[in-house]
Amino acid sequence: MGIIHKYKVVIAVVLPILILVLIRQFGGNHFQTDAKRWSEPSIMRSNIITEEKIGTLSGEKLIINLGEGNREIKDMGMELLNIPADSVLSKNILHTIGKHDGPLLLYSSETAVSARIWMVLSQMGYKNIFILTNEADNEISKNKFRPDTIVRPEL
Amino acid sequence: MNTREKFSVGLLSLGFILALLPLSANRSFTVKPQKLLSEVLNEKTFFTVDQVARFVISDDSTVQIIDLRSPEEFRSVNIPGSINVPYNELLDNDPGSFLNDGNIKNIFYSNGDFDSNYALVTARGLNYKNTYVMKGGLNEWFNTVMNSSFSGERISARENALFETRTRARKLFTEINSLPDSLKLKFIEAKHIAAKKLDGDCE
Repeated sequence: MGIIHKYKVVIAVVLPILILVLIRQFGGNHFQTDAKRWSEPSIMRSNIITEEKIGTLSGEKLIINLGEGNREIKDMGMELLNIPADSVLSKNILHTIGKHDGPLLLYSSETAVSARIWMVLSQMGYKNIFILTNEADNEISKNKFRPDTIVRPEL
Repeated sequence: MNTREKFSVGLLSLGFILALLPLSANRSFTVKPQKLLSEVLNEKTFFTVDQVARFVISDDSTVQIIDLRSPEEFRSVNIPGSINVPYNELLDNDPGSFLNDGNIKNIFYSNGDFDSNYALVTARGLNYKNTYVMKGGLNEWFNTVMNSSFSGERISARENALFETRTRARKLFTEINSLPDSLKLKFIEAKHIAAKKLDGDCE
């Protein structure tokens, strides 16, 4: 008690800062530092998985279907969670994601949606998250441009 | 307890707190996750290839198109007027150097839908709100603009306008990408000068 009384001014200044730092560090609802580090799997393309390669992932898999209903996704014999994309950061969903001890597969019929949600979750520090897609070659150029050697550019 | 002792204990405590904080000089997202999520799920963050085609043929100065593919892919073919910032280098340099002008819409594209959407979330997370995505990427550009054709008997005014836009964008795309690299930039500069002269701007 004597020490607390003796350092009450210091404690009054330092304690609120310490609490804020601890909330910032260990609270769930914030982004991690160093965005480049958390986006690394997207650069390496190691965050994309196709149905055929799901077997290469170890651990219990959970599919998060970001569409409405599960009509688009076939029954893969895995745990399936249907949630609208805008609810992915609700407390109970984040709790489920954080608690799940295995790969998490994001699925949406729109590639843009699953890519965006992946980046948000990854930047929040969630690991072992993959984008389940049928288009593993989505970022490969599918068209060959043939230059027109006769054309004369007009100004 | 004297002031010096209090000051020392205070400093030591702050040092302890600093040690808890991650030391990283790299960029981190600054907006709140929920806010970012609602922003990036907004349909207004998308432009269709037809909208981008209109920007390109009108040489819209309020739009900057950013190609996220590799420099080799960019050199071989690109949307006229676009700049190249490979996705893997997006955070290596200060993104503010090309995203900072709040009056300009920055539209990301890649071959497909992954890199451009990662880049959008990254840019919006760093609080660059003037960022958008060309839906479908260059693959969709080829499908819609480069391979467009009309085979019906009647065409509505709206369809005709759309077809005209695609035809002009395709012509410009083909013209510029058929040029040797050394002439591409010169052609674009010459086009800007010609446009200024038409506007009566005697630079």
